[in-house]
Amino acid sequence: MVRYPAVLLILLSAGCASVTPPQPHVAAAQPAAPQPAATNSADKPVEVATPEPAASQPVASQPVASQPVASQPAATPVATAAPQPARAAVKPPPVKPVPLPVLKGAAPIAPAVAASRVAATAPTLDLDALKARLRATKAIGVFTKISLKNKVDDLMKQFTEHYQGKKPPLAELRLSYDLLMMKVLSLLQDSDQTLASEVVSSREAIWALLADEKKFFALQG
Amino acid sequence: MNRRIVVFAQSLFALALFAAPSFAADDEALKKDLTAVIALQGLPCGEVVDVIVQAESDFAVTCKDANKYRVYLNDAGRVVVDKQK
Repeated sequence: MVRYPAVLLILLSAGCASVTPPQPHVAAAQPAAPQPAATNSADKPVEVATPEPAASQPVASQPVASQPVASQPAATPVATAAPQPARAAVKPPPVKPVPLPVLKGAAPIAPAVAASRVAATAPTLDLDALKARLRATKAIGVFTKISLKNKVDDLMKQFTEHYQGKKPPLAELRLSYDLLMMKVLSLLQDSDQTLASEVVSSREAIWALLADEKKFFALQG
Repeated sequence: MNRRIVVFAQSLFALALFAAPSFAADDEALKKDLTAVIALQGLPCGEVVDVIVQAESDFAVTCKDANKYRVYLNDAGRVVVDKQK
């Protein structure tokens, strides 16, 4: 009979333990240490862009400068194949740079200034992958996703009207686009930083698609 | 026989013990989701504190600032937020 209270105590403690996991989400999202390593396999742009353009990257302009400065110069001269597992553990901070995928496209161009200018015409946008990741993320609830989809549809409608009757000017559409992006980012930034940085880095590339009439209608079709 | 009943009762108790946190987590997730939906519409709320499920995809929501809304999915597939008095 003494066993039963013991079992109950164990169950109680197990029950309490199962409640705690949701809490660390917020705190764990900040350092972003485990996330990039775990999700890098899924997101092409971040993973590919980090090692390649290290030489031409305007890393100094990035907010990451404090941490990766020590690791990056060491990483660039060394051969890329061997130290990968070791670097994967140290990597998290260098993944932070947001416009890396954009810079990958601009890698052949030498001057850093030119690279930042080319950001608008970045060719490395994988829209389908981004859509899939937005659908799959648990950082945004189902109803919020539907609501966001509604807003995206509204914006696309406005773009169609713009190209047909030139009703809303492009500057106004840009404002709506920026606002929508900020809403998406505000939903993602705490719980899915990796995806948030992907969205940020794709921002100009997506706008380039929308602002070009031919590309926009190709996107629609 | 009595022993079986006791074991059964204990199982039920354990089940309830584990189920309660899971429901609570779902409830919190729904509140967070609805808070985001209301905020996306630009309506004042702060935080959803109470949710009553009226039907599938149809919720009566009470906010921290005492605002009340009906959040539902209409036939066109749009999330609609109606302010209630």
